[in-house]
Amino acid sequence: MKIKKRWKVFFLINGKRRSLTIEPHWTLLEVLRDQLGLTGTKKGCDRAECGSCTVLLEREPVYSCQVLAVQARGQRITTIEGLTRNGKLHPVQQSFIDHDGVQCGFCTPGFVLTASAFLDRTRRPTPDQVKQALSGNICRCNAYVKIIESVLSASKRGKRIRD
Amino acid sequence: MREEVAEAALDLIQVEYEILPAFFDPMQAMKPDAFSIHPGGNIAGGKPIVLERGSVEEGFAQAERTFEGTYTTQVHCAAGMEPRVALAQWDGDFLTVWKSSRGIHMLDRPALARGLGIPAQQVRVICPAMGGGFGSKDETRMGTLTALLARKCGKPVRMEYTRQEEFVAGRTRHPSITHLKVGIGRNGEITAIHARTIMSKGAYMSSGSAVIRRCGQGALYLYQTPNAKFEGTLVYTNVPPAGSYRALGAPQGQFALEVHMDKIAEALGLNPLEFRRRHHVKPEGQPGRRLTPPGELVSDQPVEGGIPFSSNRLSECVRLGSRAMGWQRRWRPPNSSPGPKKRGLGMALGLYRGGLAQKAGAEVEARLDGSVEIRVGTIDVGEGAFTTLLQIGAEALEIEPARVTILGGDTATTPEAPVTSGSSTTFSMGTAVQQAAATLKERILDRVCAQLGADRENVKWNKGAIQMNRPTKKTVAWKQALALLSPEERRVRLAIQPGSTEFVINSFAAHFAEVEVDTETGKVAVVKYVAAHDSGRIVNPAAAQNQVEGGVMQMLGYALTEELLVDPKTGIPLNGNFLEHKVPVIVDLPPLKTIFVNAPDPAGPFGAKALGEPPSIPVAPAISNAIYNAIGIRFQDLPITPGKILDQLPLKGRG
Repeated sequence: MKIKKRWKVFFLINGKRRSLTIEPHWTLLEVLRDQLGLTGTKKGCDRAECGSCTVLLEREPVYSCQVLAVQARGQRITTIEGLTRNGKLHPVQQSFIDHDGVQCGFCTPGFVLTASAFLDRTRRPTPDQVKQALSGNICRCNAYVKIIESVLSASKRGKRIRD
Repeated sequence: MREEVAEAALDLIQVEYEILPAFFDPMQAMKPDAFSIHPGGNIAGGKPIVLERGSVEEGFAQAERTFEGTYTTQVHCAAGMEPRVALAQWDGDFLTVWKSSRGIHMLDRPALARGLGIPAQQVRVICPAMGGGFGSKDETRMGTLTALLARKCGKPVRMEYTRQEEFVAGRTRHPSITHLKVGIGRNGEITAIHARTIMSKGAYMSSGSAVIRRCGQGALYLYQTPNAKFEGTLVYTNVPPAGSYRALGAPQGQFALEVHMDKIAEALGLNPLEFRRRHHVKPEGQPGRRLTPPGELVSDQPVEGGIPFSSNRLSECVRLGSRAMGWQRRWRPPNSSPGPKKRGLGMALGLYRGGLAQKAGAEVEARLDGSVEIRVGTIDVGEGAFTTLLQIGAEALEIEPARVTILGGDTATTPEAPVTSGSSTTFSMGTAVQQAAATLKERILDRVCAQLGADRENVKWNKGAIQMNRPTKKTVAWKQALALLSPEERRVRLAIQPGSTEFVINSFAAHFAEVEVDTETGKVAVVKYVAAHDSGRIVNPAAAQNQVEGGVMQMLGYALTEELLVDPKTGIPLNGNFLEHKVPVIVDLPPLKTIFVNAPDPAGPFGAKALGEPPSIPVAPAISNAIYNAIGIRFQDLPITPGKILDQLPLKGRG
């Protein structure tokens, strides 16, 4: 069987159609950062442990280091760059600022995207539900107290995310 | 060029190794006949550092009882979320390096100039942001390596660690073995404290001498005694190299000290709280005679006595923290809860340096559009230093913070500044920014007064606008005032020498933990945690809470789960990843209360003192002491894993 060396694909990234040629072994993380310059998606471990590379694929959070880019072809992808609408921050982003849910900020895009998808499904979460939802993301600064406050406060704003 | 091409090229390099003897245990490496990893033997510097106040020999002679114990700590990785990275680019003879750094002016720039044989003026280093450092990103080698490669191939070169490399070749917290001996006199007073620590270094020095020095400070200074001695031995070994990590050696040293003091309190029949209340160091400092000549800067890690602290609110930390924990009401003797899940309370104190630093420069410039820019040569390593410095600048200028921006982390645009280290940024850079901003304000006032023909007593500064009351009522708006100054006058650049000639400047903490030990599984759950801190006046409450909460949580990992395991036969690290190193995650977070005494320090900028590292110091001993209180078994070896607990439990009878 002949393996296709190059794939011509398109993605719907942050609401825009982006066409490009990729190699089959490239991860979605590599394509986002190295081919498309979307460096808000971070590489913290490259082995599905830390969640810094989280993006939304069809509105579900995924570790982009574990998704081959060809698998995501034709699908809707939201990165941290796409969460802001018309210059207005997403409620979860605003809440992380208001509650200091950040120290160094490297894990923040992953936490914000995971939290935004979670709040899309869960309107009034308990603190324990927030913890469970974010347990796949690591913050080594351990800003967890303020991250939980940020997400709980965002949930009270009652706004849902839609593409 | 893609990374995979670079990796394929690396695979083509053939290395021939000469196999030499290797040491993974410092006790083996320090034997006199051991093979030397470096010329001159395996004890770094050839001998231990020895620091002594009074005479411990005399102190032990006066003692009625002495207490001895040995304490060990593990290899612990900082593991910032962003793996370290460097990118070098040459433009003719000029070099620009972007890299993870906590000292662009004082570490990277001179090292690059020296390593490449070019003047420092031809080197620019930029660190725009850091994805977590915790002190560990202070090596300069990646900058030099990428610069050499870039020069060789005529193209920019980037080097980035993988996550595994970050664990293995980043810098770890030194593992330690500490032996403590404490003498108690007839009236219960501490007659002498003698601590001896051996640390395994790996094969490179890195910041080891500062680490071992800081390890001794608790034994020398946390408890009142005329006689204290610290001996610290750094041993070269072949394990992953250790270096700086939040509070350097203080967590290791104060783990040993605070578990030891807990044992002494019990032996003397005193509640751990009462023992500490009596004996911890008070605002007047240690007994003894000042040795630093008058007028000279006092060390913030002193050995000598006779010098008061600028402020010391440790008593308030103990009072407020114990009250929040409900200590008096809820403390029970060890092993009194029925089980199988047993609860216990533990506490520990901590002290840390934070007043002296390298010369600190800052620049403050007001522009004609009314904006103000602060320029600092330090880096915000993720703790929020830039926000804090911006607040200090705005406060000194008495203008709205929204008008002020801050620029840092670039040697080309900022004045020389210290390494972001020793929790010194707020104190040292804060003082520099405060003075630069205050100087600018004075200049503006002088110029406006001259223009109006007004006396200084008759004008009022109101958020940048200047109001004259006499001879006539008149207001000069902020922008109008600025227009009276030349571009040079609108910019103030100065440097200060942080420190005090009269006082020891230290920060203090008292931590209280409640744990629940499951005697069937050995698992420890932290049920409640209270951290009370004296860091002077708190400039930015949210960022300060974040530092304490984050520091406590990071060190709960140190106390209970985290360790880089090294194969004792080969020295190969076995678990260089987040999962198996067992870093805490959000579900491990206990209810955590932070208390600041929030009393201004007379020496600090607007009364502020150090905060970044102190929260990491008392955590492990507070947890170990709480586990003892729950099940009546002492753990003197970190981390206190369920396996270690289960191993000990059968001896005492489970349940």
